[in-house]
Amino acid sequence: MLKHLYDTDCVTWSPQGKLFQVEYAMEAVKQGSICLGLKSNENVVLCSLKRQPSELAGYQEKQFKIDDHMAIAIAGLTADARVLCKYMRTECLEYKYTYESHHPVGRLVFKVAEKSQHKTQSGAKRPYGVGLLVAGIDPNGVHLFETCPSGNYYEYKCQAIGSRSQAARTYFESWFHLFEKSTLEQLILHGLSALKKAIMEDEELNERNVEVGILGKNQKFVHLNAQELKDYIAKLETFNANTQIQQE
Amino acid sequence: MIFNSEFSGQQQHTTQPIVTGGSVIALAYKGGVVVGADTLCSYGSMADFKNVEKIAQVSKNTIYVSSGEFSDFQQVVRELAKIDRSALQYDDGVHPSPRDYGNYLARLSYKRRCKINPLYLQNVIAGFHNGERYLGLVDIYGTYLESNFVTTGFASYFCKAIISNYWNENCTLDQAKQVIRECFKVLFCRDCRAHDVIQLAYVDEQGTHIEQPERVETKWDFSGFKNRANEKLHTQ
Repeated sequence: MLKHLYDTDCVTWSPQGKLFQVEYAMEAVKQGSICLGLKSNENVVLCSLKRQPSELAGYQEKQFKIDDHMAIAIAGLTADARVLCKYMRTECLEYKYTYESHHPVGRLVFKVAEKSQHKTQSGAKRPYGVGLLVAGIDPNGVHLFETCPSGNYYEYKCQAIGSRSQAARTYFESWFHLFEKSTLEQLILHGLSALKKAIMEDEELNERNVEVGILGKNQKFVHLNAQELKDYIAKLETFNANTQIQQE
Repeated sequence: MIFNSEFSGQQQHTTQPIVTGGSVIALAYKGGVVVGADTLCSYGSMADFKNVEKIAQVSKNTIYVSSGEFSDFQQVVRELAKIDRSALQYDDGVHPSPRDYGNYLARLSYKRRCKINPLYLQNVIAGFHNGERYLGLVDIYGTYLESNFVTTGFASYFCKAIISNYWNENCTLDQAKQVIRECFKVLFCRDCRAHDVIQLAYVDEQGTHIEQPERVETKWDFSGFKNRANEKLHTQ
């Protein structure tokens, strides 16, 4: 991206009506490693590709549980993500303390969006450099939201954000009409197939660099463990997206 | 000038209720919950306000009544209605369930109790949500209980036996209403601060229905009253 005039701070509009600082913040999200989410009538699945800063390091976690009924996958500045994660967890706890029930998902995303927007309208602040995919279940149904540094939020049937996410989105465009009625296993396999489209030629999916989290109407948020990941990745070889069954 | 310290600008603590409402009785029935309360607010022992419609609808499927200090009741109604209204600003169509209200009121009551300035109330929250009926009691200390039947005030002493004998949780609406009417008859006879005009309200799948106040039937034409047998003895 070329440098522009009018991009010094958030309180300066460009003549074309853009806030460049906000747009640059969205770039930070696009540089993060990919994470995607997809939902059916009963379940939401989050899949992410974890990055390893060096061979000596562990892999950076990208999915965080907010509450039993809600989880996020992040792309962008992990430090900023931690702040939003803490905020969401605190809000859920307070809601539970007061009402003994789960925080409605859309409402929490709205609060995060308001918080994010606040950072785009001050001379002394910068936007959060992280995009969240928020998966949640509440009385209104099964939800998948995306939040942006700009303070916008959108609800999706399936979405991918981060590096090379367009490849995953292209996969989704072909097959998302099947997701509503998919079983949990089919949903996971679709998610991993989409993830596979987005990795580089010399990379491969394995149980160390992939993170899968699942959430359902009767399923609290849980990560798949290493063995389960291995099994699903193995099943990818013979998964037919159209029929959603294993081919021989 | 003599300053009465009770009326200085310091924070006051509620030590006694002034204008009080009477007992509340609520029963679950097959398909919903029915609540009954009388229409009297007493000023100490004076029956001051005799046609007060107390049963408040706080949301589409939740009703709230309480016995105790009436101004506290009115304030709580405002607080609960505030929650429902502020839910509108999120544009997501999600409204608090009856249980949410019950828990919120329990937290509110407990907070006030911890400051030794209680909401001088025994509260009943009744509702119907997602195919399930809900009935909760929150007392002056913030104790929260969910139950199939709930009584406050004197009804807790006089009416539990009647309820045990004539009610079960799967009775019809009319049966439950009849049990409540019987209870208020007994209360009118024995509780000095009770009134014979009551109001019933029920919540079911279709929503809340608050009925017009009705007078409970009480019998005063006993021959002993009419013939004044006692008085004759003394004058003769």
